[in-house]
Amino acid sequence: MNNSFLRLSIWAYLVIFFLYLLGPLVIMSVTAFNSSAFPRMTPWECLTFQWFGELFQDQRILNGIKNSLIIGAGTVVLSVAMGLAGALMLTQIWPKLRATYYTVIIAPILIPGVVLGISTLVFWDRINRMLGLGADSVLSNGIFLTVIGQSTFIASYCMLVLVARLQRYDIALTEAALDLGASHAQAFRKILLPFMRPAIASAAVLAFLASFENYNTTTFTFGEYPTLTIELAQKVRYGITPSISALAFIIVAMTVFFALLNEAKLKRQELVAAARKNATVEELAGKIKLPSFFSGNMAAVLVVVFAVATITLIGTATAYNPAQCIADVREQKQLEAQQRIEELRKQREEQRKQREEERKQRFEGVFEPGDLQPGATEEGAEPDSGTNNSGFGNVFDPNALGGDDDEGASDTETQPSNNGGFGGAFDPHSLQSDQ
Amino acid sequence: MPRFLKEFFNRNGTGMGLAILGLVLFWTIGLIILPQLSMLDFSFRPNLPPPEIGGPKDVYTLENYKYLIYGPEGGSQDYNAVDLRVFFRTLLAAVCVTIFNLIICYPIAYYLGQSKGSHIRIFAIMLIIPYWINEILRAFALRIIFGETGVLNTLFMGLGIWDTPFDFIRNDIALYAGLGYAYILLMIFPIYNVIESLDGNQIEAARDLGAPWWRIHWRVVIPYAKPGISSGCTMVFMLSAGALAAPQILGGPSSLWFTQLIYQQFNDNNDWPQGAAYAIVLLVTCILFVLAMMRLFKVNMGDIGK
Repeated sequence: MNNSFLRLSIWAYLVIFFLYLLGPLVIMSVTAFNSSAFPRMTPWECLTFQWFGELFQDQRILNGIKNSLIIGAGTVVLSVAMGLAGALMLTQIWPKLRATYYTVIIAPILIPGVVLGISTLVFWDRINRMLGLGADSVLSNGIFLTVIGQSTFIASYCMLVLVARLQRYDIALTEAALDLGASHAQAFRKILLPFMRPAIASAAVLAFLASFENYNTTTFTFGEYPTLTIELAQKVRYGITPSISALAFIIVAMTVFFALLNEAKLKRQELVAAARKNATVEELAGKIKLPSFFSGNMAAVLVVVFAVATITLIGTATAYNPAQCIADVREQKQLEAQQRIEELRKQREEQRKQREEERKQRFEGVFEPGDLQPGATEEGAEPDSGTNNSGFGNVFDPNALGGDDDEGASDTETQPSNNGGFGGAFDPHSLQSDQ
Repeated sequence: MPRFLKEFFNRNGTGMGLAILGLVLFWTIGLIILPQLSMLDFSFRPNLPPPEIGGPKDVYTLENYKYLIYGPEGGSQDYNAVDLRVFFRTLLAAVCVTIFNLIICYPIAYYLGQSKGSHIRIFAIMLIIPYWINEILRAFALRIIFGETGVLNTLFMGLGIWDTPFDFIRNDIALYAGLGYAYILLMIFPIYNVIESLDGNQIEAARDLGAPWWRIHWRVVIPYAKPGISSGCTMVFMLSAGALAAPQILGGPSSLWFTQLIYQQFNDNNDWPQGAAYAIVLLVTCILFVLAMMRLFKVNMGDIGK
């Protein structure tokens, strides 16, 4: 029992954890399809695709995507090159320098992005001035600065990825190539690079993603060329619309798709390898019976399901017209608003009546003999939280003329909510000294 | 030429060697060391209009650092209470976010590291996907959830737990949730990497010897995972202290993050040296804090980043 309880709690924890991790993304994606002008999931109004249309017409977003792609390409080239050189250097450097060198090239990962952005900006600005170049030179160009600033730390990521594979490289391969008469460049291009290709590919993907989503460094260096992330940040900070959700949905969908595709490919390779191992010689020689792409490959099935869902979605989006629904919702909202106004009016009416009645009662009270006795108890004298919406406060309150009397005081006390603009300023009690 | 340089060129050939050396020098010196030194130098200078730079007024001064501590000259207060409070609040909040992340990530990392099976790969994908989504969009997602008419408020008001919307943003709950959310992966992966290499027999041996589960973790797993835990904590601390997007989007109107002050100095006040000084203060304090923590928990620098 103890064991099953433990298992249950582990699963519960996992579910909560992944809800925290994935829930926000799901909710954000869903809001892209709600016609409400503010991104929200509840209340659900209408299924709509208008936010996607709005997104594709937004020039700033499109321009941001273009800049992001240019900067991303530059960053990938520069940081993979520097990362590879850094990794090669790490495997060969003089042992005494190794620790220092490692600290220096790993430090940019830990330095806050803001600091990297500032230092890049300050340093290249100074170089620019030293060379006597103007404000529009290459060195103060937003794209150049951003590529440089981002590469500073992205190269460290690349280096870590590359060095992991480089450690498994057998240096004897290069030596053999050199012995057979290859030049160093040839050995590098024909032996080392093919070996490193998978790692270079993943480093490049990593570098591109890191560059694409970077904000902290870019926000200081972008100059005239805002990237997508910068544009998004400005949009999010000054008023949010569901078209951002639409963009988020596209990015989430693409990410999930490529992750599944990659997984499916890996799984397939594994299955093929397993099949080769188990296959008899004749199977391999003659009728090779490779496992089909789908059998035992959950990820592949998911990829296809996903693709079909996307196509269906786009299909519906072009055919579907939510105008009717939106009109309905608007009508309903108007109805609701009217109802609310109606209710408010009624409430006012009732309040007015109530007040009148009270007033009548009070005037009646004035002529009660007890009224003229000086009560002088101040308990009820605090300027009442009563409903007196008239701007005159309690000026016309008969009590004002009748001195302090217990009954009147308790009367004011029972009045709900005084919203009069003058508060209790005109309350006569406020002028009396405390007794 | 020193011997190791000669060896280096012999090994890589002159052309390749020069290319490697050039790239490495450009990266380490041109991109990492010199810009930091340049920023340090800049932070000691007064804020001058461009024509006066290099002129007689361009002298070293402690003005920018004094400003952080004492505030503007002739100010009404003895200390720059606003900025200092923001600074310490940022550090404290970053520590809290780090501890929070460690607590929620350790069980996951342990579970992923010690269990076998194909579902682990699915979990890994589910972990990585949020990390590939833009930082701004992640913060935006949390803002939808924590907003006044957001999912959480609607849910709790629907359940009748509270009847007026709770302002998560003004109370900074959204900010802490967002910062924690942003760096979960950076905490899980280092710990996972270490725990994965822990021999399950050690845990079984401890169990056979009668240790309860918490003692197994305390005496076997955590000491083994210490390098992973420390590099995860270091990364999360540094990144959340230096975060800019999450505080800008999720922070309440009255609560600032120190990076936002730096941002203001650069973009609104146009006072670069002041901003550089603040950045230096942030960087140095964070590094000193991390080094102190590493000394306290007896971790080596070489373990970080592995």
